[in-house]
Amino acid sequence: MITKKALARRTFLRGAGSAAIALPFLDAMAPALASSAIPGKAPVRMAFFYVPNGMVMDSWNPSYEGKFQELPRSLKALEPFKDDILQIGNLTHNTGRALLDGAGDHGRCCGSYLTGVQVKKSLTEIKSSISFDQIVANEIGKQTRFPSLELGMEDARQAGDCDSGYACAYTNNLAWRGESQPLPPILDPRALFERMFGTGQPMTPEERSRRSIYRRSILDFVTDHTHKLESTLGPTDRRKLDEYLSAIREVERQIQRAEHETSQIDPHMDKPYGIPADFGEHFKLMSNMIAIAFQADQTRVVTFLMTREGSSRPYRELDIPDGHHPLTHHRNLPDLMEKVRKINEYHVRQFAGFIEKMKSTQEGGGSLLDNCMIVYGAGLSDGNAHLHEDLPTLIAGRGGNYIKTGRRMVVRRETPMCNLFLSMMDRMGVHMDKFGDSTGRLEGLDLS
Amino acid sequence: MQLGKSKPAAGVFFDGDFSTIDSLLAVSVLYGLQGKNDCRVAILTLSRPNLAVAGFTDAVQRFYHGPAGNFSQLPPIGMRTVGSAGDTSPAFTVPFQKKKPDGTPVYKNDVKSVIDTGDPNTLIRNYLEGQYDQNAFFVLAGPATNLAEALAFPGIADLIAAKIKYLVFSYSEARIKADVLAARKVLAEWPTPIVACGSEVGAALPFPGACIDKEFAAAVPDNPVADAYRAYQNMPYDATSSDMAAALYAGRPKEGCFKLSGPGTLSVHDDGRTSFSAADNGKHQYLIVDPEQKDKVLHTYVELASAKPVPPKRFKPDAVVVQEEKKPAEPPK
Repeated sequence: MITKKALARRTFLRGAGSAAIALPFLDAMAPALASSAIPGKAPVRMAFFYVPNGMVMDSWNPSYEGKFQELPRSLKALEPFKDDILQIGNLTHNTGRALLDGAGDHGRCCGSYLTGVQVKKSLTEIKSSISFDQIVANEIGKQTRFPSLELGMEDARQAGDCDSGYACAYTNNLAWRGESQPLPPILDPRALFERMFGTGQPMTPEERSRRSIYRRSILDFVTDHTHKLESTLGPTDRRKLDEYLSAIREVERQIQRAEHETSQIDPHMDKPYGIPADFGEHFKLMSNMIAIAFQADQTRVVTFLMTREGSSRPYRELDIPDGHHPLTHHRNLPDLMEKVRKINEYHVRQFAGFIEKMKSTQEGGGSLLDNCMIVYGAGLSDGNAHLHEDLPTLIAGRGGNYIKTGRRMVVRRETPMCNLFLSMMDRMGVHMDKFGDSTGRLEGLDLS
Repeated sequence: MQLGKSKPAAGVFFDGDFSTIDSLLAVSVLYGLQGKNDCRVAILTLSRPNLAVAGFTDAVQRFYHGPAGNFSQLPPIGMRTVGSAGDTSPAFTVPFQKKKPDGTPVYKNDVKSVIDTGDPNTLIRNYLEGQYDQNAFFVLAGPATNLAEALAFPGIADLIAAKIKYLVFSYSEARIKADVLAARKVLAEWPTPIVACGSEVGAALPFPGACIDKEFAAAVPDNPVADAYRAYQNMPYDATSSDMAAALYAGRPKEGCFKLSGPGTLSVHDDGRTSFSAADNGKHQYLIVDPEQKDKVLHTYVELASAKPVPPKRFKPDAVVVQEEKKPAEPPK
């Protein structure tokens, strides 16, 4: 009889100061001779990557249903991973529409995206509803260090008018803890890193500056513990641990490099400390930390507002000096549409880099991606027409051997997006009869 | 001094089985009314799972609405997915064969499968949410199946009570018999007044089919409803017009085109027959043909149904100022 004691799932590498590094899922954490069906099984995680201003839909939607053939232009970067993604057509957010509230589609579509309710048109009286990611976080969040992580890359201000009378709270947040409590995203990679590997509280710029003088890696603080742990692990786990710690170190280097480069650049605007000037670099940093957070089971719920809804960010790295939002009102002019397509492709390219990372990270008998549901989507479909139906929606990962990927699935027109959320909640172990304007669960995700 | 508050033109919800050409003409009448800013067609729903009919109805909708544009969406046709598909009249298929001089089809069928349609309940709910209170009406021109299910759908009955001022039910024995239970449920549970329009109304007001090759052709050379009319039956013929009468009354209830019975209760028998019991507190009324208005009604049919499409505009001017109703729940007079 084998009596070897399994390593606790919530084991941390600890060191001097406040350093604490959660471990990834290791074989040693599964009880000896355990099958994958018993408690050693990796958890399911979910994330939302939100892109603003809709898309040029003829480059997003393939002309077919079923098994992926040639991917449409906007998805080309996902070609190596097309067996790992499911694209869903025709999902609708009716609550993003004007109904009786007039202009303000950007404010509404982002505010309703994960909440499934029509938000109150106001600059001062913020009213939405708890978002479904937070319902999940409330239910399962006690099992992880962070119930959820909210990330972004552009603008976290909450006050002011961001769209025709809709407060910036609606365009700049995805996650809502309650009807008047948005959860502002973390924009600064250093702040996120410190939250993940420190006490959980972001450091002040002064504290950060003092620490940076020494330029020490967090890994240096946990060296002793790491060596002790390694001596108890088998070769596979040692390799996994090494890869994991290397990934953390790489993130640290990226942050240091970004901080150095940022200090050399005057962005002509207020930017929080340490945010890389380069969009791709910023995305890579944030998404690498999402991968680490999932790998170490620090959280199972992430929302990521890639840029805020209604963003007018120019993409000079693509030789596009025009603002994103004004460009999306292209009036079907080919040259303007082409620029929007390039931005859409650029966003997906960043996302594809993250998916590559997730797929290459081993977990259990498969990849980390296999155990995730990573939704990439937008709250508007055609940004020129401000349409709220056929919202761009793509899920990467199989949600723990559940979602049948490698295909495009088209549901009936006007099918509520909230139906997908109900089904995702099921996979996360949270069961509700109704959420937002759902009319039932989304059939066909698993082809069962 | 105006006592009312301005609202947009009333939203129209039309549900039917499109088993007769009358239903298509009724849709034309509603779009004609929309062109005069008397109403806004919100959605069309089909009470049988027939893709050919849904496809043609969708083409008709696109003909009148124009393509979806900036801030202007074109809702899908709502279609029931269970039950009998029923017959498919040539009216719904032959027009698709019509070609332009370059050989391309005049009308495009965008409904290839059920995913190109919407669930009627979801559509009714979604589009009710976009209506001002008591500023919409419903026209039912077929079995009451979809509406009975809508009443059972969470939240819709409350929305109907808030948004829909009245239901106009174009009925016949065949339509009642097709789903007796649904008809009973709707007549009993519909939360706002119901005006019934029996088949005798349509029989007394035959649509002048000769206008298809005159007024219709003069307004728009390629009109799918006109082509459907030609394919429905050998020309010339005059179609019955109960659904058109229902649509006309619904859009212009104060026009005086029809007489109205006093209040009462319409009851449904198992064989599809109906009976009406007068009662002061009844919430049903029925339409009565006024012989003196016959010419006016027929003229209005032609004028509205043949009118050139006027695509909706996002910021279309408000309709006439609506007088504040003291008792909006009362049957329309």
